[in-house]
Amino acid sequence: MATQIIMDLNGDTRHNFDAKDAKALLEAERRFKALSGAGFTAATRTASGEPVVTRTFDPTVEETLFFPRLVGG
Amino acid sequence: MFVTLLNDANGQLRRLLAACLQLARAFREWYLRPSTREQRGLKLLREWLSQKQLAQYDAHRYFEVIGCHTGKRYRIYIYIYIYIYHGNGANVIELDDAAPPRTGWCFVPGDHLVAGNVMLAQKIALETDERGALASANNFTPR
Repeated sequence: MATQIIMDLNGDTRHNFDAKDAKALLEAERRFKALSGAGFTAATRTASGEPVVTRTFDPTVEETLFFPRLVGG
Repeated sequence: MFVTLLNDANGQLRRLLAACLQLARAFREWYLRPSTREQRGLKLLREWLSQKQLAQYDAHRYFEVIGCHTGKRYRIYIYIYIYIYHGNGANVIELDDAAPPRTGWCFVPGDHLVAGNVMLAQKIALETDERGALASANNFTPR
């Protein structure tokens, strides 16, 4: 089961999907593109735990984290 | 007689003060407790910190990251503390081994997020796109 985690007002919202389910995969890709288009950054983790920013949807990734665009505080 | 009454009153006053103090402490703990969403944010942060960063965070309520472009070290303080004492987002300090920290950086996610999420976004930004993160940031001189 793969997960897309979106940071939001509630802490985060998680969308779990089965990467073997074509319909769920399509929905996950649509969500990825919508969030990226809205300025969110998508990050995944390497096997050693280091974060990596990704610009394209990868159906093999177990966990993707989205956070909003950063601005000066 | 008068002295006895005075001693009794003094004892009662002490007990009343102790009870008030206990109530005040309980109220403070209740008021400062993290909300569910804040707890979720901190849980997510802990999941994404490296072992070393997690140990630092548990011990000091801050953790350090290495900028991916310059190799500089940055210390990310727990966001709520800095919010109270330094203002919005001023919780990232650039470290210099040779001198006291001279530069702080303010950058936060555009949406209003809980403390754990803010710190996690700052960590990922510095570790994956240091120049981009600092380009959007305002700097300040740490006190």
